[in-house]
Amino acid sequence: MTRVHRSPFWAALLILAVLFAGPAAAKHRSGTLDTVGSDTMAGLMLRWGERLARQHPGMRVQLQASGSASAPPALTAGTTLLGPMSRPMTEAEHQAFVDRYGYPPREVVVARDALVVVVHRHNPLPSLSRPQLDAIFSETYRCGAAGGIVRWASLGLERPAGRIVLHGRNAVSGTHGLFRREALCGGRFRPSVSEHPGSAAVVAAVAEDPQAIGYAGLNHLTPSVRPVPLRDAEGVRRAPVPAAVRRGDYPLARDLRLYVNLPPGESLPAAERAFIELVLSAEGQAIVEELGFVSLPEAVLSRQRRQLGFEPR
Amino acid sequence: MKPSAPNLPMRQRLRQGRDRLATALITAGGIGVIAAVMGIAVFLVVEVMPLFWPAQSPGVGLETLWLPQDLAGLEAPAYRWQPTLGDDGGPLFSLTPLAWGTLEAAAWSLVIAVPLALGAAAHSALFMPRRLRARLRPTLELMEALPGVVIGFVAGLVLAPWLERHLGLALALLLLLPPGLLLAGGLWRQLPARLQQRLPLGWAALWLMPWLVMTWLLAHWLGPRLESLWFGGDLRSWLEITLGLDYANRNAVIVGMAMGFAVVPSIYALAEDALSGVPRSLAEGAQALGATRWQTLWRVMLPAASPGVLSAVMIGAGRAVGETMIVLMASGNTALMTANPLDGLRSLAASIAIELPEAAPGGTHYRLLLLAALLLFAFTFLVNTLAEVVRTRLRRRYRRLGGPS
Repeated sequence: MTRVHRSPFWAALLILAVLFAGPAAAKHRSGTLDTVGSDTMAGLMLRWGERLARQHPGMRVQLQASGSASAPPALTAGTTLLGPMSRPMTEAEHQAFVDRYGYPPREVVVARDALVVVVHRHNPLPSLSRPQLDAIFSETYRCGAAGGIVRWASLGLERPAGRIVLHGRNAVSGTHGLFRREALCGGRFRPSVSEHPGSAAVVAAVAEDPQAIGYAGLNHLTPSVRPVPLRDAEGVRRAPVPAAVRRGDYPLARDLRLYVNLPPGESLPAAERAFIELVLSAEGQAIVEELGFVSLPEAVLSRQRRQLGFEPR
Repeated sequence: MKPSAPNLPMRQRLRQGRDRLATALITAGGIGVIAAVMGIAVFLVVEVMPLFWPAQSPGVGLETLWLPQDLAGLEAPAYRWQPTLGDDGGPLFSLTPLAWGTLEAAAWSLVIAVPLALGAAAHSALFMPRRLRARLRPTLELMEALPGVVIGFVAGLVLAPWLERHLGLALALLLLLPPGLLLAGGLWRQLPARLQQRLPLGWAALWLMPWLVMTWLLAHWLGPRLESLWFGGDLRSWLEITLGLDYANRNAVIVGMAMGFAVVPSIYALAEDALSGVPRSLAEGAQALGATRWQTLWRVMLPAASPGVLSAVMIGAGRAVGETMIVLMASGNTALMTANPLDGLRSLAASIAIELPEAAPGGTHYRLLLLAALLLFAFTFLVNTLAEVVRTRLRRRYRRLGGPS
């Protein structure tokens, strides 16, 4: 009984119903959980939803995965209480929510994701720094490079010969935006970056061409390409392995979040609570690993569980 | 009999009613189609209009859309299509590279499709036995039925990497194929007449098959040798260093091949119609005067059918410009302004397909994509109308020359 409706009257009635139903339905909750948001997280939401349905027969999670940008309007309009997003809310999105409700949305970090820079599996490139990455992919060099790098020889490699062939995601994807913000320091991509409709297509294109380099989501990595370790600001090489991403050492990482419409001092409705409890449990985090994302450290999980009132402080 | 005659037999009245119903339905359907086309055009125009009110979409105007712009970090003004630049600097909307890419892709596909399709049309209209021709048509129509996605997929994931690995072979084929085919034709003429008669003219293509296989094998042998002899073992580096040409894995030539494949059937069908529609009396007259088949084709048939052939090519161009999935999957979608056929491109249609689902309705980006759609619509509408006009005039000319069809 947790379908969320638009009008506050229905919402109030439903919250009441949930409160009354709460004790009785503690074991088997039912209802549909509507969520709107990120397509990167669609697989995760789906698997968590399946697991939830197995634990509580009769409960379903519905996801409208039309992109991170669709979550804030839906949360603000009240059509959903949960908005999965692969990027933090922008200032404007945050403000719109606060203007409507008077309190900020609650942010729950549910998993970590990383972008990997990949080259052909025979490419010996040892590592790249952020300015080098910027000099390869952008034409603005905002991260401090002196000029562009267009040939493999400029990186000190004898093989592969020739120009660097660039592959990336299409301009409207979140991956493209994240890479531009983090690796190009907000600069402008070269127009010669091939734009592919998905990370898997980028990986496939790089796998074919010894002169290619590209970026993709960590969960799309295959043995046909080699991920290039990145050097952080101190010059330490960081390979995109789950441990480094979990610690936050790997430079091109991002948090995957759930935004929750939760008034301060109140506790979550039962269905939402069950879902987030599952997500933050060892079981939920195992699903994260299965799908190729990176699970959160136990400290972060338990801190969030305490904050949400799932565990005594 | 008048339709309103009072005492017609029941059956006849019924049939009349049915006829009238069918006519009404067909008319309504026709009007509906026209209304839908007009409706689409009106919708596009209405949605695009606000772009040109300065208050609605700042920074967008004819200059920013079509002329090169000064950009930070670049020495010379340039064209850039980067619709989601976001925070700072603002998005860059230059339609020129997209329009260029569209035309480039269409041009290369025509370069590949027109000789093949017209050659096939001429051969089948003039030399092929009727039975074989009846078989060929459905085969080519099957080619047309192949979805663009499939062609694009094969081009992008199979053809592009293969060609990249076998550039030497491709070059050798390019060099060997034309002289090889000419040689095959010359040898055919030298064969004893007895042998020539055993293979009817319509089946002469069979003679070419072993030749093609041999050319292929020869190219396979020659390709790597050519590459190491002339190009230091790596054609791709040679192109880049000596000629300054980038080789992109998915390039205009790949798009041209894939889209050429898709366009061949439409050009073939129309051109073949035009050629076989030339009144027989013309060809027979020419041959009676002692013209060879080749002279008949070149001097009589082709000039007579030239408007039809032209309209076939125009229909092909219209299809190539509007084609989306092939370009999307085979081109790499890089919004570049280069004449290098070995570099990538990005077309208007592919940009619409990629970006429209993510563009905020009512935003500048959204309206610009609709402007791109309007451009495509106008272009294909114009080309198709022109082709139709030409064809109608051709039909009138045939009627004048005698001969019914």
